[in-house]
Amino acid sequence: MENKRQNMFEIFRGFVAIAIAILVAFILILICADDPGKALECLLIKPIISNGALNTKSIFTILARMTPVIFTGLAVCVMFSANQFNLGGEGAVMLGGFIAALIGIYIPMVSGVHIIVAVLAGTIFGGLVMIVPAVIKVKLKASEMVCSLMMNYVIMFIILHFLNNKFADRSKGATQSYPFLKTALISTMIPGTELSWGFVIAIIATVIVAIFMYRTRWGYSIRMIGINESFSKYSGMKVGGIIVLSQVIGGMLSGMGGAIEMLGRNKTFVWLDLPGYGWTGITVAILAKNNPAMIPFAALFISYLNRGCDLMSIYAGVPAEMIDIIQAVIFLFFAAEHFLSGTRQKIVVKDAKEELQKKELATSGEGGQA
Amino acid sequence: MSDNDYVVQMKGITKVYPNGIAANQGVDFNVMRGEIHALMGENGAGKSTLMKMLFGLEQPTEGEIIVNGEKVSLSSPTVAISKGIGMVHQHFMLVPSLTVAENMVLGMEPKQGNKLFINYKKAVEITEEFSKRYNLFVDPHAKVRDIPVGMKQKVEILKALVRGAKILILDEPTAVLTTQETEELFKELIHLKEQGYTLIFISHKLNEIKQITDRLTIMRGGKSMGVHETADISKEEISRLMVGRDVVLTVEKEQAQPTDVVLSVHNMEYTNEWNKKMLDKLSFDVRKGEILGIAGVEGNGQRELVDMLFNLNIPDGGSAKVNGKNILGRPQREIRDMGVTLIPEDRMTFGIAGAGTIEENLMSDRAASKKYNKGILFNLNAMHEDSDQLIKDYRVLCKSRKQQVGMLSGGNIQKVVVAREFSSDPVLIIADQPTRGIDVGATEFIRKKLVELSREGAAVLLVSADLNEVMELSDSLIIMYNGKIAAYFEDTAVLNDTIMGEYMLGLKQQSIEEIGGVIHGE
Repeated sequence: MENKRQNMFEIFRGFVAIAIAILVAFILILICADDPGKALECLLIKPIISNGALNTKSIFTILARMTPVIFTGLAVCVMFSANQFNLGGEGAVMLGGFIAALIGIYIPMVSGVHIIVAVLAGTIFGGLVMIVPAVIKVKLKASEMVCSLMMNYVIMFIILHFLNNKFADRSKGATQSYPFLKTALISTMIPGTELSWGFVIAIIATVIVAIFMYRTRWGYSIRMIGINESFSKYSGMKVGGIIVLSQVIGGMLSGMGGAIEMLGRNKTFVWLDLPGYGWTGITVAILAKNNPAMIPFAALFISYLNRGCDLMSIYAGVPAEMIDIIQAVIFLFFAAEHFLSGTRQKIVVKDAKEELQKKELATSGEGGQA
Repeated sequence: MSDNDYVVQMKGITKVYPNGIAANQGVDFNVMRGEIHALMGENGAGKSTLMKMLFGLEQPTEGEIIVNGEKVSLSSPTVAISKGIGMVHQHFMLVPSLTVAENMVLGMEPKQGNKLFINYKKAVEITEEFSKRYNLFVDPHAKVRDIPVGMKQKVEILKALVRGAKILILDEPTAVLTTQETEELFKELIHLKEQGYTLIFISHKLNEIKQITDRLTIMRGGKSMGVHETADISKEEISRLMVGRDVVLTVEKEQAQPTDVVLSVHNMEYTNEWNKKMLDKLSFDVRKGEILGIAGVEGNGQRELVDMLFNLNIPDGGSAKVNGKNILGRPQREIRDMGVTLIPEDRMTFGIAGAGTIEENLMSDRAASKKYNKGILFNLNAMHEDSDQLIKDYRVLCKSRKQQVGMLSGGNIQKVVVAREFSSDPVLIIADQPTRGIDVGATEFIRKKLVELSREGAAVLLVSADLNEVMELSDSLIIMYNGKIAAYFEDTAVLNDTIMGEYMLGLKQQSIEEIGGVIHGE
């Protein structure tokens, strides 16, 4: 309601960025596809409609792929809100998945309890590992961005070491773990699709994070520190503690995402590289403008494009890397503060002028009465 | 005197910044060839703006600049340099990791025969040659980060000379120097003058001005207060011209009835990173029910003092207690819980979170309190109710509590800060420049509130460079000069601008016994 015109403009700006990204994609598709028409159909329409009917299976795949990205998007959202550019989501996802996998393989438990314990363990480890860059930032003033980025690779190689040397199933040709126990598998919501109950947990997590950020003192402190750290310190907030907290929460969300993804869509631990959900989470959080409530929509959008690009590469011979290009362009225009800033300035000026006119009218009205 | 004697003439200069502040209003400023000309005035008087225009960093809104008899348009420092104008900034513009010689030729490097590499030997030669010619000794091979402040300044002066400057603007050159370095600098400046250079010397230190300048121009409130021969004007007259009052807003207040000591500062000492003593065994008390004002030209330790009292910095020695409990180095949460609040000087950095809503800014010091929480969740109703009440009580002009604070006017932003700081039942209010740069209405409102709270029993420490404000509001007053208390007045009624000016500029200093009156405890 306040600055309605300016809010509308922000939404408009977002759509322009997306439109430009898709336009760039079009140009590239025209260049590299044998049949551009078909490629475009694959990108935009086929994910939901194929052969004139709703493609339900594909729709469920899109929803299933949203799950981990919602978690990493929320994680980035919390960390970026505190102005902490922690890029360690990637490592936390992998670690969460790995810990959940180990519990799923080696520690037999009753069904139901097993999943909960495995997912919680993944969550806790994801949170623990983020203490490293957070504390280094607070105590030693080292950039959390560099630390967390490097940490991703440390985590990855440690996991690969253990996977190769301790936990690998030697009877298989590829490097993978032993299969998860049946009790540890998160079941699918709709049989025959990839969509697991993890999706529901992701939506619940979104609601919880949104409430946490806007309805609790900790979320409030995180946001205020993100806006102005000096102000927060002067106001009496425990700035160091909150900075650590924000990153630990980010790590926990990422770890939970990794665990749920691992137990919901896999039968064995198969990640031999960073899974990429952490990076996508950054795009998602930027699309959602760090607003937790918008994360599922941003995740849906990215997941849709992802599916479209997959289909393009299968049916139209367009390289699957197209999704990265589209993401990069969106990223660029969203992050570019000055993109369309001229238009925004005009809107601000127009608002200010109207405001002044209103005031003048009001005062002259008062003068008339007096 | 014909116009040809003037090397610089600035006629009718007016400068209005985009935010509407008129920093210069119809200023005339003339400098004769071969003189040392002082430009004096308090902070905010418009000296820097005027000099920025002469060095091409800002363009005048109105008026003309004539250099060597020729009307010029100084669109950038490059143009100014080509007209023979050089500037030595207060904060040095040097590259710390490069050597003196490299800094000297930065941007005009002598090249090797192949035009690719810098001829470092030539750079050293240039440095040595200029260094010798102007009696400004520097070590060409030393890295700038390793040399003392005095030498850095010489490098700055030489840099300007190497670039062909005949007119040198020195912006408070002695602010960072020790006494010995200052003496040395003065010798060098006089040497430069003898060689025909023209020097414009910005300062508000009366003794220095008297010592080396030929003429002086005094500025106040963006206007020129006239040009004088240094020899013909007394220090007292200069001080009167510099720190006179223009408008007087009066605030009615009853006689204070001070009781117990609330804030007690004892022997506080602090030396800053440039080795300058900012607080020198500072001691004073503030009592319940009184407003103690701290006046003084800015930069005499007031900011450092406030920083210490709110743990934004740690002093080298001394103590500060609120109701007997130490506050130095304690977390802000603890200081606030003792009932101390602060209206910060820099309201945009400390006072508000600009992108947050008015409500979020009003709640920043109390969001964790029981009143506004139900279990783990906020009690939004209580927050909304109290925010609306504060907005009403403090007359913050806004559409609603959800409006972004950064979008408000300066006066309304300050009202938000004041509403928060005054509404926490403060025992001690530290108000640092509480009405700087805000409109008259908001100023009056904030001043009245401050008096009201003190009469209701709060102790108030008012730091202000605004003479009118500090004299009108304070029950008793101290004047700071060079990190020390220059004077204490138990009753501000006896004061006038002349007396204030003399203490503020260091012409007079009270005895230890007189100053001791500000200590009320045992």
